[in-house]
Amino acid sequence: MSAFLLNRLIQSIVLLVIVSIIGFTVLNLMPGGPLAQFGLDPGMTQKDVERLATQLGLNRPLWIQYLDWAWRLMQGDWGHSFRDGSSVLAVIGRHLLATLLLMGTSTALAIAAGTWIGIRGATHRYSLFDYCATVGAMVALSVPTFWFGLIGIYIFTLKLGWVPAGNMYTIGDGSVLDYLHHLILPSLVLSLVHVAIWSRYMRTATLDALSQDFVKTARAKGVSERRILLKHVIGNALLPMITLAGMQLPSILTGALVTETVFTWPGMGRLFLDSLGYSDYPVVMGLLIFSAILVVLGNLIADIVIATVDPRIRLA
Amino acid sequence: MTKHSATTSNYSRRDALRMVAIGGAVGIFAPNLLGKPAFARASTKPSGRVIVGLGQEPTVFNPLMAHIEVDDGVHFSVFDALFRIDPQGVIQPNLAVEVPNQKNGGISEDGLKWRIRLRDDVRWHDGKPFSAEDVKFTLELIMNPNFRSWRTAGHALVRDITVVSPTEISWRMEEAFAPYLSFLTETFIVPKHILEKEANPNNAAFNQAPVGTGAFKWEKRVPGDHLELVANTEYFGDGPHIERLVFKYIPDLTVLYTQFKSGDIDLVGQPYITPDHYGEAKTLPNRVVTLLPRTSFESFYLNLERPQFKELAIREALYAAIDKEAIIQGLYYGVPTPTETFMPRQSFFFNANLPLHKFDLNRAAKILDQAGWAKGADGIRAKNGVRLSFANSTTSGDPLREQLQQFLQQTFAQLGVEMKISNLPAAVMWGEFWMQSQFDSVIVGSSYLIGADPDVTNRLHSRSIGAKGGRGSNNAQYANPEVDALLDKGARTFDPEARRAIYARVQELVRRDLPFLPLYQSNSVEGLKKGINGFVPNGNTRTESWNALAWYWAS
Amino acid sequence: MTAIVAHAAPIRWWNSRAVNRFMRHHLALLGIAMITLLVVACAIGPYALPYDSLQIDLRARFAPPLTGQHYFGTDPLGRDLAVRLLMAGRVSLAVGFSAMLLSTLIGTLIGVTAGYRGGWVGAALMRTVDGFLSYPSIFLVLALAATLRPSPVMITVIIAVTSWMETARIVEAEVRSLREREFVQAARMVGLSRAHIMFREILPNAMGPIIVAASLAVARAILLEAYISFLGYGIQPPLPSWGNMLNGAQQYLASAPWLAIIPGAAITIAVTSFNFIGDGLRDALDVRNDHI
Repeated sequence: MSAFLLNRLIQSIVLLVIVSIIGFTVLNLMPGGPLAQFGLDPGMTQKDVERLATQLGLNRPLWIQYLDWAWRLMQGDWGHSFRDGSSVLAVIGRHLLATLLLMGTSTALAIAAGTWIGIRGATHRYSLFDYCATVGAMVALSVPTFWFGLIGIYIFTLKLGWVPAGNMYTIGDGSVLDYLHHLILPSLVLSLVHVAIWSRYMRTATLDALSQDFVKTARAKGVSERRILLKHVIGNALLPMITLAGMQLPSILTGALVTETVFTWPGMGRLFLDSLGYSDYPVVMGLLIFSAILVVLGNLIADIVIATVDPRIRLA
Repeated sequence: MTKHSATTSNYSRRDALRMVAIGGAVGIFAPNLLGKPAFARASTKPSGRVIVGLGQEPTVFNPLMAHIEVDDGVHFSVFDALFRIDPQGVIQPNLAVEVPNQKNGGISEDGLKWRIRLRDDVRWHDGKPFSAEDVKFTLELIMNPNFRSWRTAGHALVRDITVVSPTEISWRMEEAFAPYLSFLTETFIVPKHILEKEANPNNAAFNQAPVGTGAFKWEKRVPGDHLELVANTEYFGDGPHIERLVFKYIPDLTVLYTQFKSGDIDLVGQPYITPDHYGEAKTLPNRVVTLLPRTSFESFYLNLERPQFKELAIREALYAAIDKEAIIQGLYYGVPTPTETFMPRQSFFFNANLPLHKFDLNRAAKILDQAGWAKGADGIRAKNGVRLSFANSTTSGDPLREQLQQFLQQTFAQLGVEMKISNLPAAVMWGEFWMQSQFDSVIVGSSYLIGADPDVTNRLHSRSIGAKGGRGSNNAQYANPEVDALLDKGARTFDPEARRAIYARVQELVRRDLPFLPLYQSNSVEGLKKGINGFVPNGNTRTESWNALAWYWAS
Repeated sequence: MTAIVAHAAPIRWWNSRAVNRFMRHHLALLGIAMITLLVVACAIGPYALPYDSLQIDLRARFAPPLTGQHYFGTDPLGRDLAVRLLMAGRVSLAVGFSAMLLSTLIGTLIGVTAGYRGGWVGAALMRTVDGFLSYPSIFLVLALAATLRPSPVMITVIIAVTSWMETARIVEAEVRSLREREFVQAARMVGLSRAHIMFREILPNAMGPIIVAASLAVARAILLEAYISFLGYGIQPPLPSWGNMLNGAQQYLASAPWLAIIPGAAITIAVTSFNFIGDGLRDALDVRNDHI
């Protein structure tokens, strides 16, 4: 096991290095750059732009810029944003909290609802409920999130006035109730897709578990259906669920991107889009490294769980 | 307060004389400009809060560092400059006691020596007194080669800055440069006692929590969301009257408008309300929605080094093939105003006598036929192996511009001209693609003026061609020696009447040569809640929040 | 003694158990029906309607559905929405399908190789997959869209390049578990070449998950194309795609909601159909269902 972990660690570091090199190159080779925002300024001359480029260190050869960045990163300095000068870690941290709030709530909703729907669908297979749940899940997976969010705002904010038009909280009011009020619609919209995924998954897992021999045995022994469900089915479905969750981990970054844009939620997805739009290289590189770390972690969790469950697969 | 008429200019003879400043007395008190009318209210404690919604996030709070328009709103509120420019284009004193010119001796006859007297009752937000040392420090910081300063034009010509006394400063210019007065209206003064201690002013803590002399003090910022300013009760001017000023960032334009409708924001800032919402916005209860002229204009911008655009006949034909009326009324709901020039119509220097555009496809076809561009087998005109086919680019994700492009594409196709649409993300579009003239043609909306100064050397002078090693943003690569000479002369002339004649001729020549096809002058659809008084639009600044100190809620 | 060879009726593929199970999956059949309908409509429809998808008519802007001969109304430039929807369908469906083919090809190749070879080759390949997954898709999309000029071919490549990782993961896991089965060991003992074993023995047995993943890939590709075009980096105007039709519609949600509802509904129908088909395939090809 420890050999495996060590192996993985080495592989992950290599991965991080390669990801950062390629990302850095792609970023810098992309036409445009952090100074394009001054392209239309009537008072900025070509000379001013070149001066700014030199001051930002953008005129040095690419490999020197990369090594400079990598060296600082190894010492714990993730760099400073080109736009407002604040430290990249602080920027990512703030936006991460907002995203976790949104995704945490919607995932909790999704797991709760999805589990119930999935299990009910499996135990009442081919019933009307099951049919509706299946079709509903399919449609939910197919609806473009940005479209759904806009329609949600149109109905619930403009027409009914039940919920605010966006943002995380009302300026001047920061109470928990206010936060919850702002959280309702975005988390519901975001959870739509996740409910579908989890319900489909739980249905399959439950069907799987129910067809196992030990369930037939338990039934023969007279154990109540409810206990079978709770103990065996959910217990067995839990591990693969963790695998699924592990594989979804990297989506923290941009999974909520569309919802964050439509609902003006200051999360990671929006941060990524904004920094990419302004070519804020330090922040984008920071986000890439963060994303790569998430991928590595997610994979690790998933692989360990799968290997624990399926003895045929050697952790090679 | 003031209304913008649709006619050429509201710059009267009296105003012109005022700018020459017959007596110092006229300029000293900056009447009613920066504060509200004296009869309106007795001075009471500032109260209330105004939330301004912005489509881009302000991120640069040191006004000397490179920044974009949305940052201006914060700078105008937290800082002061030596002078301000009022909606009529008249320069008013702010931190200075009077506006220097050649009549009152503030500027020497040859335009080289400047002497400015400053107010003595100004304090920084941290209580320390303001003095000429701060002005000297500011001007020197801008030229510090390690400092990421914004514009250095004009400041680069300043030499021998001398602090004569805490309220008087003087310097010498390398050459006479009339636009410098306008530049100084956008140069905010920063505190020497705070910034001189910083080893690296680029990373100063000051940049995250600025200290200025302005009507509002910095309170806090929630990055990615909003920032809050509070009233400076010790401000030397007449105001502020609101206790709290909040700038809120809403990236999606539709959501910006939605929040305006629902009342989550009190005032719509840049980029204002889109023209297609104008019709509905006008009818909203408890909202005041007006059209305000800006200095920017939209044009079909050409790269004159492309073989398709070299001949004047082609440019004239393309211009005649644009149905401006249909575009403005149909696509833009009548919001913008057609224009023939880069000069905004509210400017003193606007030339009202330029030939008017007329949409005439037949005439366009005739011009091209006569110039020898005959339709080929594929329906596209060609001459000497060059097909009249080109690409047109603009920022992607802008639906109104895309509609404009498609409309033009169809009209040009009737003429036998092929236009391909190739849009790019903003960070790509305005980078080298724009600055190094790598495009064929572009639809661009921009302002050519700095402050209200008519000097457009940066955009139209032949030495401003970036692609040829020049130092400006003449990306059309326009080169006309007569225009060059006029621009050089205009920058050295201080007399407004003389400058007016010079720039009128420049506009005539540019209209004749058509390096770009002018479409319309932008009018922004400004919206605010009924009850906010004191809001005055100023087309000569880049922000709607230039005089937030005059705003107050009607009780 | 001669061996008795029983001659049973040969089982053609359309009689196989999998296909039978598929046929019993009503939703999947519905999905196939809807997709066929869509494809036929997009192929033939534009010829049956009286308008051209590119004809701008500023006097007929924003006509609601069922105005005159505009069955679905008109868009902000006065172009007939029905024709544009069907022309856009051609682009979106073609891009979706081609992207799926390309991404499935790449993913399968890499997955099979990684799964079978294992060791450091497998690890390197899977870390490459991880590498690609590290980049948020929006980053890859924006970077590629900025460097390459967007055209339907380029969009297909971009989508394929950002979607093959899922398939590779699934295939690799499947191949890894198949690798230890007896038939593979037998093939190795017989001395069949590695390539033969990978592609002629293992791959056909792994087809189940691949097919399922492929049908879901089309669904995802269509959604991704819609998203990219919605952001403005995809299919350029005036060529219509369902995504860029939505892009122009979001600000008119209150005044002309059909502009957003109709393309959105088309996307939803197409994607749902592919999801149904994928679901049906998954049920049909899942051998565990043989017990029930």
